[in-house]
Amino acid sequence: MIQIKDLYKSYGSLEVLKGINDYVKKGEVVVIIGPSGSGKSTYLRCINQMEEVSSGHILINNVDITNPDININKVRQQVGMVFQHFNLFPHMTVLENITLAPIKLKKLSKEEADKIGMELLHKVGLEDKASVYPNTLSGGQKQRIAIARALAMKPEVMLFDEPTSALDPEMVKEVLEVIKELAEEGMTMMIVTHEMGFAKEVGTKLLFMDGGKIIEQGKPVEVFANPKQERTKLFFSKVL
Amino acid sequence: MENFFYHLLGQQNFDFYSTFFSNAFYQLILNGILWTLGLTIIAAIVGLIIGIIIALIGFIKTTKRTGVLWQILRIIQIILKYIASAYVYIIRGTPTTVQVIFLWTVLCASVPSEYRIWVGGLAFGINSGAYMSELIRAGIQGIDKGQMEAGRSLGFTYTQTMKHIILPQAFKQMLPAFVSEFIVLIKETSIVGYIGGMDLTRAGNIIISRTYNAAQPLLIVAICYLMITGILTLFMKQLEKKLNSKN
Repeated sequence: MIQIKDLYKSYGSLEVLKGINDYVKKGEVVVIIGPSGSGKSTYLRCINQMEEVSSGHILINNVDITNPDININKVRQQVGMVFQHFNLFPHMTVLENITLAPIKLKKLSKEEADKIGMELLHKVGLEDKASVYPNTLSGGQKQRIAIARALAMKPEVMLFDEPTSALDPEMVKEVLEVIKELAEEGMTMMIVTHEMGFAKEVGTKLLFMDGGKIIEQGKPVEVFANPKQERTKLFFSKVL
Repeated sequence: MENFFYHLLGQQNFDFYSTFFSNAFYQLILNGILWTLGLTIIAAIVGLIIGIIIALIGFIKTTKRTGVLWQILRIIQIILKYIASAYVYIIRGTPTTVQVIFLWTVLCASVPSEYRIWVGGLAFGINSGAYMSELIRAGIQGIDKGQMEAGRSLGFTYTQTMKHIILPQAFKQMLPAFVSEFIVLIKETSIVGYIGGMDLTRAGNIIISRTYNAAQPLLIVAICYLMITGILTLFMKQLEKKLNSKN
């Protein structure tokens, strides 16, 4: 479904991604781990072109999205993204946050969009917050709303960029539960995370990145139990 | 000190009544208030429109698409960017007085004199636009860049994200700066006398030259300005409070 070929990305003289090749199948949950500065967030952000790639190709459903002549906005409607810092729209209510894109981009009526919005709020367990503004919510609630907002466009793929890194410890679980539920429904996902237990439990494929490259990949359980590369072993010895 | 109050309150040939009422000078003052308000409102509207356009041109990212039409668009975008920065450079680098006189006596030399207030307002608006564009630019840049990313990641274009997400937030942040720009504008219009405008300051000047009395007309003029800016400040404070209470 997503094919990544020879992906390079540099900021000026700083090379962040040094040749990534990968393939994500439909329904797969790819978890990406690695030390900070390893390029994992940059890699994720290349998938929906939040970062322009320096060279290489990314094909989503066989369409090369690095081609400057494709309409990237149409592509992004198919690829939901959840950010570390939630990035909810503070001037809109929770429900308006969720329904803005379906109303403006899919031209749904307000009633249709509200219905979808309320269903999504039910799914993330926050129907009672529909009409409040984001600044009254906790971090965990904000992130669940952000997930609902991304789901409102009915994307084929969801990208999570360290979704729990900015949360207080006791709020991590409620967000991970929502992501887990999505995984069980068969959503294709790529998740950059520091939650090793979660990665092992939910991931169907694990990528370990360092220095802008994929060092090791495989089934999470196997990689955790039996890392092959020295760099991976060193990393696990520090975080587990 | 004694001398000061003597000049201020009880000058020899001065009589408050004859100065402001029997010679109908109060009409000059009232007319002056209308001029000042009119100029400011015209200038604020023109300035805001120019300011928004110039600020948005500054944020244009030239297209990377290939093809002849897209390349033509790219050239237009680059030219617009040059025009915008030249405009800001010229306006901020020359005195307002020169700009107002230039527009009226050179560029609008053939415009009938009854349009003086419109040309004056336009001149102040063109001047104010350069400053407003900077305010708007700062306001937009003050919004967390995660907001733009969130909008774009949902599939909104740059322009749509600006319209629905960035500008509504930026506008609220810019309000206090707009108020001070508006107040600056009110005071700035006091130079319209250079092109024959009949605003408050000019009215004061005329009364002074006819009565040979400076203190009281100037005080009256100053109080009028204070009342206009004071009411405006009060109104904007209320508006800000209302907007802040919303979220």
